[in-house]
Amino acid sequence: MKDRKVWKKRLYKDRFLYMMLAPVLAFFFIWHYIPMWGARIAFQDIRYIGDNVWVGFKHFRLLFSSPVFTRVFFNTIIISAMKIGFFFPLPILLAFMINEVRSRPFRKALQSVIYIPHFLSWVVISGIFISLLSSPGGAVNQVILFFGGKPVPFMTSSSHIRWVFVASEIWRSIGWDSILYIAAINSIALELYDAATVDGASRFQQALRITLPSIMPTVITVFILNLGFFMNAGFDQVFNMMNDAVINHVDIIDTYVYRIGLQKGNFSLGTAAGLFKGVIGLFLILSTDRISRKISGEGVW
Amino acid sequence: MVGVKRDTLPKQRPWKRPGQRPGQRPWQRRKLKKGSAASVIIVILLALLALVMIYPIYNQLVIALTGPEYIAAADGTTLIPRGFTLSTFRAVLAVPKVYRGLLNSIYITAAGLVVNIVLTSLGAYVLIKKDLLGRRIFMTLIIITMIFEGGLIPDYFLMRNLNLLNRYASVILYKAVNPYYLIILMRFFSRVPKSLIEAARIDGYDEVRILFKIVVPVSIAGIATISLFYGVFHWNEYFRAMIYLTSEVKWPLQVVMRELIVSMEKAAFIGALNFITSAGAAAIEFKALKAALIIIAIVPILLFYPFVLKYFVTGKLQGSIKE
Repeated sequence: MKDRKVWKKRLYKDRFLYMMLAPVLAFFFIWHYIPMWGARIAFQDIRYIGDNVWVGFKHFRLLFSSPVFTRVFFNTIIISAMKIGFFFPLPILLAFMINEVRSRPFRKALQSVIYIPHFLSWVVISGIFISLLSSPGGAVNQVILFFGGKPVPFMTSSSHIRWVFVASEIWRSIGWDSILYIAAINSIALELYDAATVDGASRFQQALRITLPSIMPTVITVFILNLGFFMNAGFDQVFNMMNDAVINHVDIIDTYVYRIGLQKGNFSLGTAAGLFKGVIGLFLILSTDRISRKISGEGVW
Repeated sequence: MVGVKRDTLPKQRPWKRPGQRPGQRPWQRRKLKKGSAASVIIVILLALLALVMIYPIYNQLVIALTGPEYIAAADGTTLIPRGFTLSTFRAVLAVPKVYRGLLNSIYITAAGLVVNIVLTSLGAYVLIKKDLLGRRIFMTLIIITMIFEGGLIPDYFLMRNLNLLNRYASVILYKAVNPYYLIILMRFFSRVPKSLIEAARIDGYDEVRILFKIVVPVSIAGIATISLFYGVFHWNEYFRAMIYLTSEVKWPLQVVMRELIVSMEKAAFIGALNFITSAGAAAIEFKALKAALIIIAIVPILLFYPFVLKYFVTGKLQGSIKE
């Protein structure tokens, strides 16, 4: 009885705070929780007259028996793995290099330039890349021609398009993603380097023995965060760069959901595909969070 | 009015490192020896990287500025616009789809920003109160939305059921509170000294006024940062606009641009009906048209970029900017 009174008192005391929070919570409820409930159409057949019919896992069975979905699933994994494998170490390397720059103006100018691509939309970036990689007039093919090579139609070549994804991801994110590592390097105690210098460690040895181990927690956190979002192979990038010539190599789950669900009007099947991806993603995030807690004693969240 | 000055905030020196001697900054020490081979190589590599970042954008600018008589020869290696002209920009901006798109983008970004900042500030201010009953539940409910979502099609159905399809509100309200940015703002807000808030309360300020007259103004760096993120998000958003806004007159610039870039077709882009009114654009070569559009879409971002850049360079946002 007494507890309830204290409760009520606290609620009353903070009534204005709750009123301020109400629109925010309402937003999350409407924009996030209603669609989560709406995703149940993955288990239903939609009827335009009367109630939808519950069909259990019918759409999921349909999905898993479809060769297109299998291809889309593996494309997602391959593209994601390529991006993590070839992109992930680069911002770390960049942070090490920036840390060695003596001249402050150069450092500032450099940092302001390399963050820019992060703020451009994928529509703009794909416009730029289509032009950059066009054959034979694009800058890249001009360089290839200059060295006596044969021009490559990168955007329409199925053996190159995934590398275009990796390259454009690097172009967009290498600078921005290095910020975290630069901050981590900046917070290393200088005494460590002093001691190493006294011991006669070279600059390179210092980077390897002091800087790298010191920023390892950051590196691990970012890495498992990336693994957590593994199923997002980059919808905006793929959607804006794909074309009919390469579609079989680049079609990922998210583009499939859009095509099957919204364009072809197969709402239940599309939602099922999206839900499948969402559940895998959830599993990945929760398990990487657990791993992170084990390794660094700190969760991702 | 309670006197709020910037210097009432605790001094933050992001570059101050443990073991640093007075007056010394990290970049003044412990670098490679000037002129050593390794440092020269690193500087050259970094300069090359900066070139790779800037050149593709610069190249688009060059193509957009090249005169019609030279445009056929302009390619990826053209360094200077021959026959310099602004006529491409003028013609592109005269296409109804483009100038409407630009206005739509400005409207959606501005209106969206107001909603974002107000809602995110309200949420951040309340959720930093440690003794608020139910705070943990609210935070958990918000964090769940970061790791699981209903998906594209349920989102679309929600818009349809709310009768928001083909209304600007659908894209203005989309992601009105981004949980990541909410958490960033909470960090900024929690640095505001308690004494300042207490003083305001004694002066008879209510919570809303404390938030908007005290906490927001002293956290201006945080507001600027999330404004940039939200602003860029709205400006760059094309997909939701493309599926929610069914009539072309409401399309923001990104959707218009996507149509040109993906369809690769000038006639469809300008539209048969507009061919006469947009004769200028019709006569311009495709690549120049596209380049001009790309530049038009980038410029607003570059205009606001310098204002927030300093927060990134000094690393004030450390640990809070992984999207």
